[in-house]
Parts: sequence; C-alpha cells; structure tokens
Amino acid sequence: MDRTYLVENYKEMDLYDDIDKNIDVLKTLLDKSSDVIFREFRIGEKKVKGFLVCVDGLVDKALINNNIMEPITLESRKLDGNYLSKKNVYESLLNYFITTADLKEVEKFGDVVESILSGDTPVFVDGVDKSIVISTRGWEQRSVAESTTEAVVRGPKEAFVETLRVNTSMLRRRIKNPNFVIESLKIGKYTKTDVAVAYIKDVAKDEVVEEVKKRLSKIDIDGIIDSGYLEEMIEDNPFSPFPQIEHSERPDKIAAELLEGRVAIISDGSPEVLVVPTIFVQFFQSSEDYYERYYISTLFRVLRLAAMLMSLTLPSIYVAAVTYHQEMIPSPLAISIAAQREGVPFTTLMEAFLMEFFFEILREAGIRLPMQVGQAVSIVGALVIGQAAVQAGLVSAATVIVVALTGIASFSIPAFNIAITFRLLRFAMLLVGGTLGFFGIIMALMMILAHLASLESFGVPYLSPIAPSNTRELNDVFIRIPWWAKIFRPHKVAGRNVKRQNYTRS
Amino acid sequence: MKKVLILFVILSLLLTGCWDKREINELAFVQGIGMDIDKDKMCNITVQVLKPANLATSSGGGGGGAAAGKPYEVYSSRGVDFAKAFSNFNTELSRTLFLQHNEIIFIGENLARSGIYSMLDFITRNPEFRRTSYLVVVSGGTLDDLMKLSKSVEKYPYREILGMIQNQKNTSSAYVCDINHFVETLETEKVQPIVGRLEIVKKDGKPQHARFVGAAAFKYDKMVGLLTEQETKGIMWMDNLIKNTSLVIDKGPKGDKTHISFAIIKANSTITPKVSGEDVSFDVKINFDSNMIEQNSRYNLTDLKMIKGLEDLQQEKVKSEVLDALNAVQKKYKVDSVGFGRKLQEKYPKVWEKLKDRWDDIYPNVKVNVSVKATLKRSGLTSKPIEPR
Repeated sequence: MDRTYLVENYKEMDLYDDIDKNIDVLKTLLDKSSDVIFREFRIGEKKVKGFLVCVDGLVDKALINNNIMEPITLESRKLDGNYLSKKNVYESLLNYFITTADLKEVEKFGDVVESILSGDTPVFVDGVDKSIVISTRGWEQRSVAESTTEAVVRGPKEAFVETLRVNTSMLRRRIKNPNFVIESLKIGKYTKTDVAVAYIKDVAKDEVVEEVKKRLSKIDIDGIIDSGYLEEMIEDNPFSPFPQIEHSERPDKIAAELLEGRVAIISDGSPEVLVVPTIFVQFFQSSEDYYERYYISTLFRVLRLAAMLMSLTLPSIYVAAVTYHQEMIPSPLAISIAAQREGVPFTTLMEAFLMEFFFEILREAGIRLPMQVGQAVSIVGALVIGQAAVQAGLVSAATVIVVALTGIASFSIPAFNIAITFRLLRFAMLLVGGTLGFFGIIMALMMILAHLASLESFGVPYLSPIAPSNTRELNDVFIRIPWWAKIFRPHKVAGRNVKRQNYTRS
Repeated sequence: MKKVLILFVILSLLLTGCWDKREINELAFVQGIGMDIDKDKMCNITVQVLKPANLATSSGGGGGGAAAGKPYEVYSSRGVDFAKAFSNFNTELSRTLFLQHNEIIFIGENLARSGIYSMLDFITRNPEFRRTSYLVVVSGGTLDDLMKLSKSVEKYPYREILGMIQNQKNTSSAYVCDINHFVETLETEKVQPIVGRLEIVKKDGKPQHARFVGAAAFKYDKMVGLLTEQETKGIMWMDNLIKNTSLVIDKGPKGDKTHISFAIIKANSTITPKVSGEDVSFDVKINFDSNMIEQNSRYNLTDLKMIKGLEDLQQEKVKSEVLDALNAVQKKYKVDSVGFGRKLQEKYPKVWEKLKDRWDDIYPNVKVNVSVKATLKRSGLTSKPIEPR
C-alpha cells in the first residue's frame, strides 16, 4: 500500500477484517524500526491466523509470553474444534484465553499504533475488524529513591520518578478517597506524553480545575519532555522572572497541597510535579516545616525570609554604602573597609560585580562538572573567591565576605527556582545600587514589589495572603501555627470548602 | 505622548546617576577637628586624619606589615574665615576631607573667648558636619598639642577623647554638650550655654595626656570663664543631669577625719521659682539615693542613727557643691547657665515679660534656697564592718 497515503490517513482508518491487510498496513507504518516485533501465530485446531505487534523494551516480555502467547498457542490446541470455531475465536480470546486484567477493544488504526508505541500489545484475529489491546507496559524505570533537590531531615524521603503511574500511585497511597481524581490527557504531536491532572474533587475549586484543563488542552506542540515545558506554557505571566507555578518532587508535599485545594499536574517522564495555584510564600515553606515542632519551623521560616532579602540586596547595599553613604557605616567598620580597599584596583561596584559573576560561574560549574573533578574545582574556587584573591590585592576582604554570605543565603531558600530568580535580580540590584545608591535600591525594591503584587496564579493573587491581606491566613506565612490550631485551608485557594478539621483539642 | 512620558520617567530615574560617587578608600577620614583663632584674627583649623592602612590591619589581614607607623596625621590650615581655611586643606591633602564620621569639635581657648559664632555658622551650614558632634573647649594647651598626645590606650588621640566623653556620661563628672544642645540653649531667652572642657596636662612642657573635667561657661557665644570639676557638678545637680556618680565626704558623723565614698544611684532635682511682688527667688530641691561603696572608719551601719548621720553629711556635701557652683555662675561670671530664667518663664510668664529686659541685672542677686535630701539605700555586701580580733 502507498506509504505516504497511509502516514497521512492511518489515524482515521478502520481496521480491515482481512488480517493480511492489517499486517500489511502496520508493517508499512512500523517496519523500518528494528525494535518493533511482529509475531504471527495460529490459534486452535482450526489454525486461525492470529497476529500481535509490540515494541521491544517497552513491553513486559514475561507477561506477553506467559499470559498471551502461552494460552493462545498451547492451551487453545487442547480444546476441540467446536469450542474454538473460526467464528468464535475472537470472542474466546477476549473472554477466556488472555489472562491479563487490563485490556480493551479498538477499531481504528490510529489507536492501534498509539497503543503499540505506548507499550501496549494489540492482538488481531483473522476475519475480525477489531483488535484486542492488552496493557503490557513494562519498561525499565528508575526505582523510587531519596529526593536529592528537596532533602529533609524529618519526613518521608521518597521522591517522584519519571514514570507517571508510579507517581500517581504514590499520591493515591496518601489520599485514599474516591474524590481524589486523576484525569489524564496526552500532549505532544510526536511525544504523546501522558499528562495527568490530579485534584480532590470536593476541595479544589472547580474553576481552577477547569482552567487548568483548558490551558493544557490549548497546548499544541510537537513534544513535552519535562514538566518545565508545561509550566512555561500555562503560567499566567510568561514575562515575569518569578515562577508562578511551584514544582516539587516530593509526594508528601504534593499530597499536602492537594489537601489545601490545589491542582497537581503530573507529566510522564518528569519527576517534577507542578502545583497550581501558587503563591509567593509557598516557595519559602519547606515540607519539613510541617513535620517539625512549630516554634522551630517558625524560626527557620523567618530565617529563610531574611536570607531571601539578604540574597537579593546585600551586595547592592554594601556597594551603595561604600560608594555613597559612608556616613551610614559605623565608624570603626568604615575605617576598616577603607583600609581593606587601600590598593584595590577596581571600584567597589566593579569588584562586587566581578565577584558575584565568578561565584555564579563556580556554582554553575559545580553543578555540571563530573564528580571526579569536583575537588579540584572547589579548591580552585576557594582560591578565586577567597583569601588568595584578597592577598593578591585583587579584591577587598569585605567584598569576599559579602559575596560569600549572599551566596550562602541564597542556598537556604528551599525552592531552587525562586532562589535563581533572586540571583538574577541581584545583578540588577547591584547595578542600581552602584549607580543610584540607596535611592536606587529603594526604587528597585518598590518596582519588584509592585510587580509581585500585580502577578496572579490561576486566579489567586501572588502575594496573598499578605496583599490582599487576610489576617486569618497569615498564620502560615511568617509563622507556622500548630496543626491542632490550623482549622482552615487557604481561603483564596480552596474557595468554598475551607474547613480542614473540627477543633477537638480541649 | 505616552512614550515620551515613559522615557521622561526612566530618564529622570537614571539621570540622578552616580555623580556623587566616591570610593571609601579615596576619603580622608577626619577624626577630630579643632578650630581656633590666632593673634592676627586668622582662623585656624586643625584636623586629625586617619591613615586606615596603618590602622586596621594589625591582626595581619593585609600581609603582616608589622611596623606600620602611627595611624594618623595632623594637618593645619589658615584662612580669613573657617570656610577659607577649610578649603585651603585641598592644597596640601591628597584626599577629600570626610567629616561625617567626626564626632568631636575642639574649640581653642582663644576662639572660645572671642566668640564662636562664626564657627557655629560654618558648622551648621555645612551638611557634612554631624549636628550631634560634641563641643569641647580645650584649655591648657594648643590644638596641635591635643592632636599629638602621646599617652593613649586607643590607637589615636581622637578615640581616646571620645572614650573619655562617653565614659564621663556614666560618671557625671563633666558637662557633655553637643552642637544641637548648644544651639538650642543659645536660642533660648537669657539662658547661657556651658560646654565641656578638656584640660591638657603637660609634663616638662610636653603634652602628656588630656583630662575631660569641668566645663566652660559661656555668655551667648563667648566664653567667660572656666568652671572646676566641683562647680560643674553643682550645675549638673541643679540641672538634673547627674545620673551616676560618686560622692566622697571627708569627715565622719562624729566630726572625725576620714573618707567615706558613696555611689549615687538615682538623683532628681526640681527648681521652683517663687514670686512675691517684684521679689523673685528660687527653691532648688535635690533628692538622691546612694549606696555606700567604701568606708575607712569601721562605722556600724546596722545603727540607724549612723545612717542618719551619714545622710546629713552627704546633704551637706552636695549643698556645698551646689553653692560653689552658684557662686561661680551667679556671682562671678553672672551667667544663667542653669536656666533659672527659663523656669520663671515657664511658671510665671507674665512676671517674666516684665522682668526679662532687666534679667541680667536681677539674676546675680536672686536668692536661691538649696535643700538636699539624701537617702542611703544600701551598704554593699557588708553591713557590720570587718572586726579584727
């Protein structure tokens, strides 16, 4: 058959009742690939022609061998011809012989091909214009391991993996309620990536769920490799440097957020699950906060907010103070800084900018480099932004301290994606602080604040519950109130169903 | 139109620019500025400028320069007025003078006696001076002597003197006055400022160290005389400035010669003006609590009579200090440093309106009744003295 014609039209074509034609079509479509297995066989005494296709590596071969091939080829021979006439072969296969739980019937070539490429196995029988698609997915997958990017001291250690089903199972294990819905769809013309939208039906806002589904269905792209693609495609303000969709690889965190009324978007092939709607303060909450004692969590949360401010403004404040507002520095410190800068060739702005730049290079290299050269790089790095640079008279010790502190502070923010946003803005702040002084810093901060206040994520203001303020909800922003006092879900997120527990503590 | 507006906003933000940028290591940190006037009526300014490189790296950070030399340099400049003298520094200094870390302004005795108005004007007009800087009159030596003192715990003389000033705040034995306070007093009707005094102690004609002790009494902007430590304390008793000080009496309750020291822990004074007809008098009431900190003559403090006796002696002592002070400012210099006039104005504004033009004549003869009430609170850890047997 003409291949170009097939490629264009196979999706809508019905299966033929002539098995040879079906084989022909599938072979034309898939034959070039060496990983596709075509297997022809005969069924029963009457030797009815049968046929299955699967992709080596995607399927669970043991399952095909034991639960499909063995009953069809061996068991069917043991029956006499009346039981397995040419007419009822198909029905018998469907009802008696194939011993797997998950199968379905399809009638279009499009569905057949798609199921083959997803790791399922269609079985054809001569004379029937339908095919039994048996779920045989069983590819190699990474085992569930400890989270590397969101490590905690206390709390579950398991993290999502790249396989969608494993991920949904981890969520389902935590939320055992029929109202927990996982809807799936496929996105990507070539990749046909499975994307699941998960939410708890009577907690999540319907509008948000609808909006998520609408935005996802609008995506028409050739492929989705990671959930990062989806994040960029569906976020509210694509030009903002701030992430408006949170992602996490911790199932406990996602489950907790589902319980708050958020909607999770799980994408096959990505261990990072997206959650919407997202608010700014979420990025400063670690899942550990909710497992550790609340006094301690509160302390660390405040600490993180301070670290956030530091990571954004410390270098710029330093530069502005040293080049414009020397009177603001305590006298002994001012003199000490002046002494350190004696003989340093660059201006403070230049110095701080270069050091920040080098620090970022080191950090970037540290992530990319192979494990074996790590030690060498860290030694060289320590020299570049350390004592050696000071002794060589390239930079002043105060600048090194400021840059190092800033760097460390930015690592204390639990969410990497917002930490790098602050890193980016830090350079802008540095330039502004070095040219306009404190005036510029205040202006820039106000602009950032105005921008943050203007952002929205799926109908929820980004800065809520701070602005617009909701004093009742502030109990989970700067402080973390004890669980027994946390009666309500976030109102803006959960909408109508806000009660989390009935207060029982006497 | 909208684009032009946006451009304008952006430009107005950016064009504030970095014109006033100055690197911290290009500044000459002034720590201590002295002003005086010489025989030819020329204005002199002396500044102590730090050499940060010699100062901060003592702990080896900069590569172990051990023999760094002294961390400061003294520059002097002359001019027809202070502004000119100040700008003359530029001819001999490699860096811009930076005054914003300076907290003390030294006033030479000559300048103080001839009036410090021009200096005050220069200082309050220039944004670089701190209005909270301490004013100090230097007596017993020149400003140059002061800047080059040799005896010093701190690394440079200015720090030493700043330390003294801050230390005296804790023991209340000298008058601390800053620019704000001086200007405020100067602008109050008929009240005269007083300023702390720094006395340079010389040995064999060479300045050795300085003592921050006593004060200088001013009539308007002119100094009229120096006050001793006792007299200064008397003024501070009346002015409610005593916070924490020590009091030594040198005779015992039985009239014997001994020394007993007390620490004043709380003091409070009120000045009440009294008017009868044209006659104005003032009641000064001082209350204070004290702890005993040392006694030489084994008095038994479990005896209540003894305590009463000691309290009486304390009252006597404080009263004599106050009377000394009144004698100096009221009779000798005829300046109202404590602010009796202001008290009268507050309580009897109508009387004040009548009297204020003649206040300068009335004030020296006004009667001041001083009454002191002392309370001995504690005797320290021992009440009965140690008895060797």
